[in-house]
Amino acid sequence: MTRAPRTDGLRRTNDPPLLILTSLADGPKHGHALAKDVASFAGVVLGPGALYGAITRLEERGLIEPLEVKDRRRPYRITGAGETALAEAVADMRRIADVGTSRLKLASRAVA
Amino acid sequence: MKRRPGDLTGLLAWYPPSWRERYGDELVALIEDELDGRRATVRFRASVAWSGLRERGHEAGLVGEQTVPAHQVRAGSLLVLCSWTAFVLAGASFSKLSEHFARSLLPGTRTLAQGAFDAVVLLAFAGAVVVALGAVAALPSFVRFVRAGGGRAMRRPVAIAALLTALVVALTIPFLLWAHHLNSLQRNGGHGAYAGAYVGLAVLVGAVLAQWTAVGVIAARRIDWSRRELRVEAVLAMTLAASMVAISGATAIWWGSIGRDAPWFLQGTPTGTSGSPFTVNIVLTMALMVVAAFFGLYGVTRIARSWRAVSEA
Repeated sequence: MTRAPRTDGLRRTNDPPLLILTSLADGPKHGHALAKDVASFAGVVLGPGALYGAITRLEERGLIEPLEVKDRRRPYRITGAGETALAEAVADMRRIADVGTSRLKLASRAVA
Repeated sequence: MKRRPGDLTGLLAWYPPSWRERYGDELVALIEDELDGRRATVRFRASVAWSGLRERGHEAGLVGEQTVPAHQVRAGSLLVLCSWTAFVLAGASFSKLSEHFARSLLPGTRTLAQGAFDAVVLLAFAGAVVVALGAVAALPSFVRFVRAGGGRAMRRPVAIAALLTALVVALTIPFLLWAHHLNSLQRNGGHGAYAGAYVGLAVLVGAVLAQWTAVGVIAARRIDWSRRELRVEAVLAMTLAASMVAISGATAIWWGSIGRDAPWFLQGTPTGTSGSPFTVNIVLTMALMVVAAFFGLYGVTRIARSWRAVSEA
């Protein structure tokens, strides 16, 4: 009895699983490359423990998969289920961002 | 997994063995890349250690969402059982410190304390019945597990539990004979050697309870539960957690009542003297009860989070 891959917990922009999926969306990376990429595009520093905790959960849920080890460093790549989960999360965030943006515009017009 | 320099291997020790086997080398490689020759700071080490503990909690089914809901229900039920073991120790302490309390109360002040005490006894009995029912409900699965050869994994923990039990029984007999030759004052802290032996025996009894609980947990984690059995065990665990909360409440009422009407009983001073109700024994007993009940309730939240999935599956 295996639960379908969950997308819960992918709604916060500083959520390690969301950041990792986003990073892997443009190609496979190993731990250090992932951490550097996440720091560069999100400004979030993921410690080794947090990074590997998230990698473990994502792999358990079939959202990422390991590739062959190269010099003790194992790259990971996003799976089809991972792309679907990321797409849903991004769509959700975009919806909220669109509502926020349009309401902010209305509010600024009202002030003017 | 290859052995790494002692420094980093020590950090990996916080993680469960199966996790280390799968991810250990990668994590060490990542840590080496991150540190780039620098020494790991205390904060960095604490962060990795905390992640390792979380991973252990996750593996035990006690932290985070589990991919298999049944594992979460089982882990929650087992946490309630472990909490009950700690609760029993607190209950034994309460039983000792409340001995003959009614004699110390003045006429007209007995009702509340006696009612609370009776409630504690009744609820403790109910809790013991629930645990016994849980054992009976688990019996068919346990027999299947042993017949399938699972008993081999249980030999060592069962042998340790049996050895400890035999030791306690062997020590209790001379201890009771010794107690028979002492007066009430000597039996209640007036005799140093007896008090030391009492504490030692209490620790051994605690170890026996803990070891038998460990046997139950080891077996339960290996048994292939049917959905019906799992639901029954989960309902019993939730009932047990509720009884722990109720017992803690009744004990607090008893304590408050005695503290108001007969503080001399808690202090061990002559009737009618004043004193604080906050003695070490009752504070530690109450604290252990509350902590055990808290973990029991946490177990219930773990069950509740996956209950629907297990019921519908």
